[in-house]
Amino acid sequence: MHEFSLVRSLLRQVGDLLVEHGGVGVKAIRVEMGPLSGVERQLVELAFDQEVVMTPCRGARLVIEEVSLTAICQDCRAEFQMQGFDFVCHSCESRQIQITGGDEFRLLDVDIAVSEASRSELHQRV
Amino acid sequence: MTTTNKTVPVHRDVKAELRQQAEEMRQTFAKRGTLVVNVLSSPGAGKTSLLEATARHWGDRRRMAVLVGDLATDRDAQRLAPHCPVEQLTTGGACHLEIPLVKQGLAKLGSNDFDFLFIENVGNLVCPASHDLAEHVRVVLLSVTEGDDKPGKYPKMFRTSQALVVSKTDLLPHVPFSLDAAIRDARQIQPDLTVMPVCSLSGEGLEQWCRYLDDQRKDMIAKSVTDEVRVAV
Ligand SMILES: Nc1nc2c(ncn2[C@@H]2O[C@H](COP(=O)(O)OP(=O)(O)OP(=O)(O)O)[C@@H](O)[C@H]2O)c(=O)[nH]1
Ligand SMILES: [Mg+2]
Ligand SMILES: [Zn+2]
Repeated sequence: MHEFSLVRSLLRQVGDLLVEHGGVGVKAIRVEMGPLSGVERQLVELAFDQEVVMTPCRGARLVIEEVSLTAICQDCRAEFQMQGFDFVCHSCESRQIQITGGDEFRLLDVDIAVSEASRSELHQRV
Repeated sequence: MTTTNKTVPVHRDVKAELRQQAEEMRQTFAKRGTLVVNVLSSPGAGKTSLLEATARHWGDRRRMAVLVGDLATDRDAQRLAPHCPVEQLTTGGACHLEIPLVKQGLAKLGSNDFDFLFIENVGNLVCPASHDLAEHVRVVLLSVTEGDDKPGKYPKMFRTSQALVVSKTDLLPHVPFSLDAAIRDARQIQPDLTVMPVCSLSGEGLEQWCRYLDDQRKDMIAKSVTDEVRVAV
């Protein structure tokens, strides 16, 4: 189970963004996962609930978007959604296909709270 | 204090930074002529035995080193120590290796003048599949006692591997395991998989395995040279 280590890394990255953007808190963290991401949704949620309280992201909501497995055929260039784990092209039955989605655990975006004061300060500096 | 919301777009894999590090290390190793091999399997499929047999087979004809991941003990490192330079990577309970631990192991290894660097991962067919350790070749072992239906059950592991070693072939007469069925199942997921049946105890299949490694290393060196020429032009 490597979800805890991945979630800790995720929270570290969001923490860095928070500092970089001069935010005062994190509202929401949006991530994407699919059938070949190598993570279990429930374990990610469990890890997030346990870990987030110990970080500057405390109070943030985790929004998980589940995507399906998609691929492109190297032979006929057809793009398609895979059914299960049969790595075969839907059009020409070639096995030379490349996965284009659903095999990563991605950080999509982060909603951070920025205080009005620090915003205007930021503007003045600019 | 009034606050406003701001959305910061990121859109990248959580492991993007580690992957980048792995990519850079892979290129450095290639230039140096060191083929890095990530060895994966479920617990006890015979990873350490295969590496012991490989070292015995080569003797001093190849320079090999091993980084071996283990949750807590240094048993595998002790087994390998008589054969080749080896460093233990203790994960402290984690079920897989990550690049920072590999870097620590490399530092402890001292020398980096090897033809082959093997990284024996923690026994696990799930989590290690997600972690790039700067390897040029990912090899998954499947022992015949595990059953020939396993590739389809662990798609990510088999999809991301370039070679499959079917291990403990001496036990084939005692277990219901069809080599053909296992290969068919694995190639359904990864059509380009090179399959090598090996018995580390008797040494059967070791010749083919070692030749495969030599070929991979030659290809890597050739590719690394053309890459450099391309950059120079
Ligand atoms: N019969 C038979 N037994 C083998 C063979 N290779 C390994 N074994 C035995 O299988 C057991 C496990 O082998 P290891 O080499 O320790 O396996 P491993 O994958 O390194 O194990 P972990 O690192 O703990 O995951 C040992 O008892 C070996 O002697 C083989 O080719 N034939
Ligand atoms: Mg071992
Ligand atoms: Zn096609």
